[in-house]
Amino acid sequence: MKKEKYISIKTFCEHHGVGESFVYSLYEYEILQLEHKENEGMLYMEDLPLLEKMVRLYNELDINPEGIQAIHHLLGQVESLQQEVASLKRKLNTLE
Amino acid sequence: MDFIDYYKVLGIDKKATTDQIKKAYRKLARKYHPDLNPNDKQAEKSFKQVNEANEVLSDPEKRKKYDEYGKDWQHAEEFEKAKKSRAQGRQGDYSGYTYGSSGESAQDFSDFFESMFGGGSGFSSARQKVRFRGQDYNAQLQLSLMDVYTTQKQTLTVNGKNIRLTIPAGIEDGQTIKIKGHGGPGTQGGPAGDLYITFSIDNNTAFKRDGANLYKTVQIPLVKAVLGGEIQVETLTGKVKLKVAQGTDSGTKVKLKGKGFPKYKKEGQFGDLYLTYVVKIPKNLTQEQKSLFQSLEKTNLE
Repeated sequence: MKKEKYISIKTFCEHHGVGESFVYSLYEYEILQLEHKENEGMLYMEDLPLLEKMVRLYNELDINPEGIQAIHHLLGQVESLQQEVASLKRKLNTLE
Repeated sequence: MDFIDYYKVLGIDKKATTDQIKKAYRKLARKYHPDLNPNDKQAEKSFKQVNEANEVLSDPEKRKKYDEYGKDWQHAEEFEKAKKSRAQGRQGDYSGYTYGSSGESAQDFSDFFESMFGGGSGFSSARQKVRFRGQDYNAQLQLSLMDVYTTQKQTLTVNGKNIRLTIPAGIEDGQTIKIKGHGGPGTQGGPAGDLYITFSIDNNTAFKRDGANLYKTVQIPLVKAVLGGEIQVETLTGKVKLKVAQGTDSGTKVKLKGKGFPKYKKEGQFGDLYLTYVVKIPKNLTQEQKSLFQSLEKTNLE
């Protein structure tokens, strides 16, 4: 399996049927990072799962980039709270 | 197999227009979408139901068939029998772990749906677009606490592929590890998805676990608590002898350094074992023992 670190924004958008402006607005909202290589905007491969999630929210649920930024922030909070709850549950278990 | 009322699932009237269906679907999809409900199995289930209802009701042909079939559902047993051979489990269950796909997957239809419309194939759903990166898979692996006391190598079979897996000692209950590139294949040169394995650790030992530390309550005889002495205590790796100090109270805590659980990804390092002593009060005394206690009482011992 070849391991490339980047994928061009153009390729990504062609595959997912979204405009490049969508990706740039997520960059603007600091949800993902971009690099410029040979005059072409590139995405980090490791950001793909996150970006694909954002595309789903955009395409399937009609959520605009502003809403996606808010969701991204809140999901981060939900996940850290879930981890905290799990660790508290384990602690509680030792007290029972 | 039960009849599913797709109108009820979407909370709409049987006479609902295409627009009303779309609106109801969007509303519920925003509520239950798995991307907005991480680690919520109930939401995932609801999302699948909502998707299925939309799949049927938003397609005029399917809706028509459903409306006709739905009316005769009670008399449709023969139809059901004929189709039964088609309904097969879609989720594999291999040696104690299950896997499923995550993300936008809405391809998991009920038996009711499949008996009426066939399997997931032949769909032109808007959600089943060509993907670039492969799908992520989720699997659950159940192990006992003693299984994860040592680092283990295990081979799993997921979607027909063997995956050699090293499970580091000390992994937590509920912890998820990511195995890069072992999800679904990518399309047109896209990277494969990842496999996420969540561990469910069964603790059937007498020890409570919090990370690398273990906790246990140990009963000590009254006489040993008063006079002091030696006791034997079971640890996870065998028995150890311990000295009990004279005048040990119930609730006294003792720490046995390094007798806990292995620290995750820190080879050779262990947590501690915390013992809490509980003084056992003898219940069935012989006549002689009773009179000895009575003699003690006369000494005004407090």
